[in-house]
Amino acid sequence: MSATDTTLLSPGADRYPAGLLDLEKPPPIYVRGSVPFGVSIAVVGTRKCTRYGLEIAGSIGRRIATAGWVTVSGLARGIDAAAHRGTVETGGRGVAVLGSGLDHIYPRENAPLAGQLVELGGALVSEYPGATPPDRWRFPARNRLIAALSLAVVVVESKLAGGAQITAVLAAEMGRPVFAVPGDIGREASEGTNQLIRDGAIPIFGAEDLIAELSLLTGTVAEGSLASADGGLPESGIDIEDLPAFWDCSIKEALARLGRLEIAGEVVRSGDFVRPVTRYSP
Amino acid sequence: MYAAVLSVALVGGDVRPVRVEAHVGGTTNSFKLSGLPDTALREAKDRVRAAIHSSGIEFPHRELTINLAPADLKKRGSDYDLPIAISILAADKQIRRVPRVVMVGELSLDGKVRQGGSSLGAAVMSARLGIPCLVSRENAAEVALVPGSEVHPIETLADAVAVLAEGMGRTALQPEPSVAEDQALPDMADVRGQALAKRALEIAAAGGHHILFHGPPGGGKTMLARRLPGILPLLDDAASIEVALIRANAGLGDVISPIPPFRAPHHTATRAALVGGGTGIPTPGEISLAHRGILFLDELAEFPRSHLDALRQPLEEGRVLISRQGASLEFPASFQLVGATNPCPCGYWGDPRKPCRCPESARQRYRQRISGPMLDRFDLAVHVKRVDGDEYRSVGGEATAAILERVLSAREAQMARGALNRDLSDRDLTALPMTQSAGALLVRSLESGAITARGAVRVRRVAQTLADFEHASVEDDQVAEALSLRGIW
Repeated sequence: MSATDTTLLSPGADRYPAGLLDLEKPPPIYVRGSVPFGVSIAVVGTRKCTRYGLEIAGSIGRRIATAGWVTVSGLARGIDAAAHRGTVETGGRGVAVLGSGLDHIYPRENAPLAGQLVELGGALVSEYPGATPPDRWRFPARNRLIAALSLAVVVVESKLAGGAQITAVLAAEMGRPVFAVPGDIGREASEGTNQLIRDGAIPIFGAEDLIAELSLLTGTVAEGSLASADGGLPESGIDIEDLPAFWDCSIKEALARLGRLEIAGEVVRSGDFVRPVTRYSP
Repeated sequence: MYAAVLSVALVGGDVRPVRVEAHVGGTTNSFKLSGLPDTALREAKDRVRAAIHSSGIEFPHRELTINLAPADLKKRGSDYDLPIAISILAADKQIRRVPRVVMVGELSLDGKVRQGGSSLGAAVMSARLGIPCLVSRENAAEVALVPGSEVHPIETLADAVAVLAEGMGRTALQPEPSVAEDQALPDMADVRGQALAKRALEIAAAGGHHILFHGPPGGGKTMLARRLPGILPLLDDAASIEVALIRANAGLGDVISPIPPFRAPHHTATRAALVGGGTGIPTPGEISLAHRGILFLDELAEFPRSHLDALRQPLEEGRVLISRQGASLEFPASFQLVGATNPCPCGYWGDPRKPCRCPESARQRYRQRISGPMLDRFDLAVHVKRVDGDEYRSVGGEATAAILERVLSAREAQMARGALNRDLSDRDLTALPMTQSAGALLVRSLESGAITARGAVRVRRVAQTLADFEHASVEDDQVAEALSLRGIW
């Protein structure tokens, strides 16, 4: 199947994603690539996010990928794209659900990212035929697919009346657990997530925390627990003491490797605790 | 009517000969003592007179003049009692001929000879001059271990007179081969977890590097430090005697031990106790007692800053100069410094589990108690975390013996160069081989701001030690490892 091949899947088709059957009226979907089986987690949020939100979304995307799970999002600017990017950076599988036809990837700037998702064994999914243009009214409808495709939804940053809020509410109605990243009071991009927490969403304090919660909820053991994105340090940080076990080498080799990372300016150190410097490159 | 006998004085970290001269003349009854004696020594007159009486020997009630030469060297203690008594008896012709002998000993009023702290000095002098020495039986066996010495133990003044009269005909004390050298030093295997700190300690042992442990209270910083002597090479004969002489000079006994000393002064110690000095004749301080061994300063930040700054010259030069009005005295003080400190007043800064309760300003102030130049002395600085339950239950690590073997191997290369790596200057280091890529990595870490120029020297030094483990040139892995062990806290 080439990168541009699109299949139409009806409910009842072999490869039709089981999650969508939870919808009242499961729609036929256009798929490019193949929707991976396995634990799928939606990571969504506002387009108008903060840098902090981008970093969190990226780390969650990376961590889900290293756990061997699937990231689901909407390919929108901001949080969505950061989560997808985290996934592909780590070589993980992801699903992007679009509000436009698959020949009309929106926003354009994320087209390469969409291509990478497909290449890495993920998929692009849409309810609309090939050339359907992106219209604002289609996006909320797209959100119900995101919710249905996922076992759980994580909202990283969201405004009070954002699309991510809708996704969260739809997910909750379908019985999917909703997680939200708490943020500053009074910051617009966090008003939605903070409200979700008040309404019963589970607050999470980082990628590792999310994985731990999900492992409990799903009874699935995350793969490569603590695994890192780039063979460097785990996203959530680690005691230097634990590096030999983590890298499966001697303390001597671990220290040398850590030293190289430090020279490259990739390490934040406090006491004997080290974590990678988080960077976001748009 | 003059006679002189040989005795010794402990000066700094060394021992010097002292001639005890006696003149007996005139008819008036007097007893004068010159040669800068201290109080204990001035009182020798009364002890000597009583001891001679008690030994059944006639005390010459005439004009007695005793001089301790060199006259400008201050002398102290009670160990000149015996040589004073013997010199009087010789000057009075009660002993016909005094052979060349070094003698020390305090006399009790009943004529017994006790040890007064200089027996070791006498034995060392005996070996140096190739002549016998007379010391109290009390610690004769210990000091007889000085190689080349000829130690004659004596119990009483009368005994000493007899030995001398026989022309030292008796056989000297045979040194007992020292029993059970490995006094139970704590073993590294007792330390659970702490892989990082243990690795750093091994490197510190191999290169003699000063090392700083920082971390929360109860982490085992002291436990680690106490295990350092065990992974250091034993002292050779000359070094153990040097160390023992300093101890003797501080009044801490005459035991000769090949185990590197470990001194852990409390942070309330006075400056004199730390660097040496005191009233009267300067005595060695903790830094000299730690000579060729370890000076462990726990709660480093609690030491008064002036005390710590006083350590800088000794750290640089391996000796300390104690200046007094009119004279200055030098003590050896080449020690390996092990510092331990909490990272902040509450101790939990940097602990991944327990939050630090100190305001940033308090933390800053705490750190500033240790000056930058002082911190620069530490080639290695590692965080020692609190051991959690799992690690506590885990089995201990590698035993001291295995680590010592690697340390000894790494020291070989340094012995060939003639200096410990901690003493290598920037220039010395430049002359040592390093692969091109290692050099490049060092430059890159400077450029990236990961380390400062000063830091680079320290990294280079530690990398040299790492290379010495392998008996090879410094490679990039070693630069990288050294970098991750450098002092930040």
